[in-house]
Formats: sequence, C-alpha cells, structure tokens
Amino acid sequence: MKNRIATLSALGLAIFFANCSDNNNDPITYDPNTVLYTAVLTDLSRDVITDTYETLNTNAIALKAAADAFTIGNDAQLAALKTAWQATRAPWEQSEGFLYGPVDTGGIDPAMDTWPVDVNAMNNILGSGDPITPATLEANNETRGFHLIEYLAWGINGNKTAADFTAREVELLRAAAEDLQNNTQLLYDGWKTDSGNYGSNFINAGQSGSVYVSQKVALEEIVNGIIGIADEVATGKIQAPLDEGATVEESRFSNNSKIDFANNMRSIQNVYEGNFGGSDRAGLTNIVKLTNPTLDAEIKAAIGDAINAIEAIPGTFTQALTDNEAAVINAQEKVAALQLKLQNQLLPFISNN
Amino acid sequence: MLKRIFLMVCLGFGLISCSENDDETYIDPNPDLSERLYAGGATTIFSATSISFRTPAPNLSAADLEAHLLGDTQFENVYVTAPAEINPGLGPIFNNSSCISCHPNDGRTGYPLNLLGRSGLLIRASIAGTGANGGPNPVPGYGLQIQNQAIFGYNPEAQYQNAFTDVTETLADGTIVHLRRPAFTLINPYTGLPGGMMLSARMATPVFGLGLLEAISELDILANQDIDDANGDGISGRANYVWDPQTNQTVLGRFGWKANTGSLIVQCAAAFVEDMGITNMIFQNETGHDQSNGQDGLTDDPEVGQALLDNIVLYCRTLGVPAPRNLKQANVRQGAAIFEQIECAKCHMPKQKTGTGSAISALNNQIIFPYSDMLLHDMGEGLADNRPDFLASGSEWKTRPLWGIGLTQLINGHTDFLHDGRARNIQEAILWHGGEAQNAKNKYKQLTTKQRSDLLEFINSL
Repeated sequence: MKNRIATLSALGLAIFFANCSDNNNDPITYDPNTVLYTAVLTDLSRDVITDTYETLNTNAIALKAAADAFTIGNDAQLAALKTAWQATRAPWEQSEGFLYGPVDTGGIDPAMDTWPVDVNAMNNILGSGDPITPATLEANNETRGFHLIEYLAWGINGNKTAADFTAREVELLRAAAEDLQNNTQLLYDGWKTDSGNYGSNFINAGQSGSVYVSQKVALEEIVNGIIGIADEVATGKIQAPLDEGATVEESRFSNNSKIDFANNMRSIQNVYEGNFGGSDRAGLTNIVKLTNPTLDAEIKAAIGDAINAIEAIPGTFTQALTDNEAAVINAQEKVAALQLKLQNQLLPFISNN
Repeated sequence: MLKRIFLMVCLGFGLISCSENDDETYIDPNPDLSERLYAGGATTIFSATSISFRTPAPNLSAADLEAHLLGDTQFENVYVTAPAEINPGLGPIFNNSSCISCHPNDGRTGYPLNLLGRSGLLIRASIAGTGANGGPNPVPGYGLQIQNQAIFGYNPEAQYQNAFTDVTETLADGTIVHLRRPAFTLINPYTGLPGGMMLSARMATPVFGLGLLEAISELDILANQDIDDANGDGISGRANYVWDPQTNQTVLGRFGWKANTGSLIVQCAAAFVEDMGITNMIFQNETGHDQSNGQDGLTDDPEVGQALLDNIVLYCRTLGVPAPRNLKQANVRQGAAIFEQIECAKCHMPKQKTGTGSAISALNNQIIFPYSDMLLHDMGEGLADNRPDFLASGSEWKTRPLWGIGLTQLINGHTDFLHDGRARNIQEAILWHGGEAQNAKNKYKQLTTKQRSDLLEFINSL
C-alpha cells in the first residue's frame, strides 16, 4: 500500500508540475456514461423534441385550413375548427416540458401563447377599417396566438355559435391561424436537422460549437425543463385559480384546461421515457434505472399519479374550482409532489451520476 | 483514488508558484481561479443551463424565497389595454408589455430583428442643458425616453430607425475585424422634434445579481475612484451622483448604462412607467401625461400597487449568480492572467464585497466577482453618445459587470453587447473600447492569436 501511494504521489506530482508549463491540456477524463448519454441526448432532441414540433406544425397547418374554410353560420365547420384548435394545442402543451432553444430565445413562446388576451386591443382591431393580416398580429403581441383563436372560436362564455361570428372576426381568425402556423414552422425549422438543427447542441454537448459545456449540463437542461413545467402547472396553472378564481384559468373559454395540464404532464413523461407518438427511444429513464431502479419506478409512478389526478377532476376545471375543490387540490398536490421528486431526487441524481 | 492523491498533492504544493519572479508587478501567468468560483458568494448557483439567470439564490430565508417566487410570476405579467380583469394599464404609449419581454430569461435582449416592432431596445432623449434635478433636460412633447409603441387609438411618440456604417480594425496577426457603428434617428414623430436633440439607444441588461451590486458599500466604490488619474495609468474612474425621486436626495448612481439610477426600486419603478406605461407609487403620472398621446383618461392610477413593485424589486435583488465554468482549464487561467496584464481588470475589477446593511440577509457580507468597479469611465469618441446624464459626460459609461456573460449565447440566443447592441460578439465589444481603455484595447490588438483565444475563453468562462 505504501509503495502504491508513493507511486501515485509521484504520478500526481508529475501531473502537477506538468501543469506548470504552458499549453497544457487538462487531464483527460473518461466518463463511462458517454455512450449512454449520447444515445439519450440524441433520441430526445432528434426524436422526441423534433417530432413533437413536427406534429405541432402539421396540426397548425390543419388549423389554418379549418379557419380558412369556416363560414359564418356553419356549425359543422365551427366544430371542425374547435377540434383543430384542440389538436394543435395538444402537441404544444406536450412541448412545454422543453421550453429551451428556439421556442425560448426566438420569442416563439410568447408569440404563440401570450395570455391574457387583450380584449380591448382585439375589439379595436375588429372595429378599425384596416385589413387584418398576420402583420397585424405581429404588431399586437397581446392579441395573438392560441388564446386569441380560442376566444374567437368559443367566446368569453364558451357558448358562441357559428352564427355569432362577424365577418371581421373571421378575418381576424384566419390571420391569427396563419400567424400561429408561421411560428410553428419557425419552431420546427429551428430543430430540423437540415435547417436550424438546434438538437446538435445536445448531441454534441461538451464539444466545440455546442452551447452546453458537457453532456451532464445538457442533461441538466433537460431535467430543468421538466421541473419547470411541473412547477408552473402546480403553482401558476392550478394553485393560482384555486386562490384567485377562474378568471386566471388559462384555457377557460374552451374548457380545455384539464387536457392542457394532463398534456403538460405527458410532456414530462415523453422526455422521461423517450417516447413520442409511440416511438420507443432512449430517455432519462435509461440513465436512472441503470443504477437506481427504485427511483426510476417512483418517478414513473409520480408522473402517472399526476396525470390520473388531473383527469379525475370531475366536470370542467372551471366548475370544479367551486364544486369539487378537493379533486383540484388533489391534482395540485400530485403535480407538486412530482415537481419535488424531479427537483430533489432526479436533478441531483443526474448531476452526480 | 488517483484523483484524490493528485488533489492532496496539489493542496500541499498549492502555494508554490511556477515562476521565480516575485516583484510587486508580477502577474501569475497561470493563476488559481478557484476563489472566483463563488461569483455571487453564497448566492451562487451551479448551473449552466437556460435557467441560470432566473434561479433564486440558494441562501434566501423562507420569507424572502416566498416573496421571490411571487415576484417571479409578476416579472412575467403581460400588461394589456385597460380596462381589463387581468394586468390592465399598458400604455397608452410604451416600449414593451412585460418585464420579461425586454429581459428574456432575466438576461439581455438581442439587437432587434425589427426596429419598428417590439424589442428590448429603447431610445433615451434630451435637449441641451440640465433638467430640474440636475439630470438630462427633457425634450418638450417627448420627455426623456421615446416610446415607439402605443395602444390602439394613440400615436407612438416616434418610430426608430438605424443605419450602420462599417468600421474596420486590423489586429497584429493580420485579422481584419468589421465593426458596425450605428446612427439612430426617429421617423414618423407624432409632433415636431426640436433641433439639437440628443438620442441614445439602450439595450436591456441582465437582472440577476443586482441586489449584491446594490449592497456594495458606497465607500468601497468611491475608494476605487481616481478622478484626476493620480497614479498616471490613464484610468480615471469616478462616481455618478444622481437625483433619487423616491427619497428626494442626491445619491450614488449604480444602475443603468451611465449609472444614472441610485436604487433598484427607482430603476424598476421608472421602467414600469417609461417602458410599459404602468403608473406606480413612485411615478404616479403616465409618461407623457401632458402630451396629446399620453393620457389614457382613466382614473386607475397607480396601475400597480406598492406590494407588486416591492416584489419585483425583491425578485431582482435575490436572483442567484451563475458560477463560472472551466476555471481549472489551462487556457482559461492563462486568459485570466492576460486580463490582468493588458489591464482589463483595472475597470473590470474582478472582486467586490457587500456590506452589512441589506434587509435581505442573504446579500450581506458576501465576497463577489462581478468584474466591475461600478464607476464611470470615458470610453472615447467611438462609443460616445454625446448625451450627458447627471455627472456622466457624453463619452462616459459605467463599467459593465461581466459575470454571466459567457452564458449569453445559451440563455438569450445571441451575443450582442454594448449599450446599443452594436457589438456582435465579445471581441467587437473589446475593439470599441477607447478613451481610458485605449491602451488596453491596443494591447489586445497586439496579442498573439493564442493569447487572444485564451483571453476570450476566460471571458466566456464567466
């Protein structure tokens, strides 16, 4: 043992004095996790994230088509419009577990999802004589995106009929749908490998050219993303309406809040498990279950519990705030518990792995 | 095991310098930067991800953390046209509609893609002379800031226009660097513009670490002044003294590109009213209340209450500071030495300490590494905006903190720097240094390619 220490000390000294000369590289550290991390980072960015944005864009194109096809008084077309909005909302909410990259730095999130809707500004646009184009929406950041379309399609009390529309509203609806799809296209283009290829930052994490200084930091970004949406759902999306009432409920015009929140949890699930639309790729679970299958099972269970608790809220979220507060509180608690598990157990696990 | 032995050996031998020269101007060519890891003292967070500017300091009291999280939500409030159930009061004239839209991810805005639209760049204005309290003289009909957006039915004060001209710098190794000098003008003014008006662009800056900067004692900042350059090193930092509308006193200026604001609460309150048209307890009148386009005709003032303003201020005070990265890397350490050798550190002094007077205990008694002396310096003709601001002349600017700067590409998706966003990367920002910084810039240009690369690696490690 003494000899071994002496040899190691000598080696240590040699490395130390070698560092005193200039032009030295750091001692090479080999992380045996490199291959696994590369697989997870590749699958999550190239598959889960990019595929989610592709679906979002495809469905936004269909939403624009539904808006273009809508004519005043046609109930079937209004129903189709609403369905198309919901079909576009779903992948968007499923993308909120990864709000970094172009959606963030490109300002695409606020362009698509600004809330609350500036109703005065909207009425002023409708009341003006000017043509309404996507440029109008771009110049009116508080009157744009998902919630504007939702407001136009469902009305403030959620019971608007196809006959209630005015020609100006239809014009605004079409411009808003086009503006939304312009942004989903930008977002998808930001990640497509033959375009913005943002995923290369994850796939090549730690190498020159990546914004992430190491694979571990890239994984921390991904974990922070799912922590962030869990936190936002627990506090902003559920607790705030419990405290302040339905006026601060995000998708109340369409009664889509429960579906939104469940899809936010599915975003976490997709990233954790490496799945999107049935594809079975590598996710964070592949890292966790290798050395801590207990934690892995607990996280999966916590995600499932959160989804179940949200979907178990009876009726609409708006009604439940008054009629079934216990169910809403239960959902909030399950989401908060998930957030804590991700924050206090998953993040340190990844950082120290 | 090898790693542990190696570390033990290093600790044991840590005090041995590799060089033989011990005279007082000696700069260690390979300094140990480990002390600087805790850039924010106990408020440091160890994260190099997109949230690294918007994470609460880890050492907050429970009460401060609770207020911080509330302020976090409010920082993201999107204000809309009044009347409205949620967040009413935007405008009638404004620059943008939420704190977060100009300070994305609590970081810095990029140079706008569309100068006519919403952005994090605004333009300050004034005319010759000084205003009521010794500050800039407001432009009749416009005030001290040009709001380029308006709610429906109102005219914005004007729209912004810019024309860049190319400027080249040639480095010693032959590299040619193209810089762009902006020239901002106003178009479509809502009413007549006076001749001789001074304009100066302002890009929104990161909001983390501000409580620490506010908590540095005034005496410590003043101690670094050298107003008459007594030591003959060409550098003459001096403090700005400014009017504080909350306390109605003259105070040390700390915040803003020319250090024209003495406290965070005034900075935030002024931003609310000037940038968003949101009246508050400190600024109870709409900016432009005496203009034809500036009165919303509503009796809803103040549009945000004291509690919300206080939360926003506390939020900005209590954000964690991200730790630097790669401090052990050889080229980063060598870059730190060059940072001292070519005298960047004379103004961008690495270390500061906070006092004991903050109501937020987490901010007191911290050794921090913001890389700023918090003083004004004449930066030369090239960067001058020719618009004095209290004691700051038309060519003086406050030394910008450099902490977090290396995360700008990740967190904000760009690397645009300087007061008007003219620099598209750190090298360009360095090459705009003039005046008191002319010597340092000249030395930068003389560096070898490797030395330059090391210096930039060091700055990007922050």
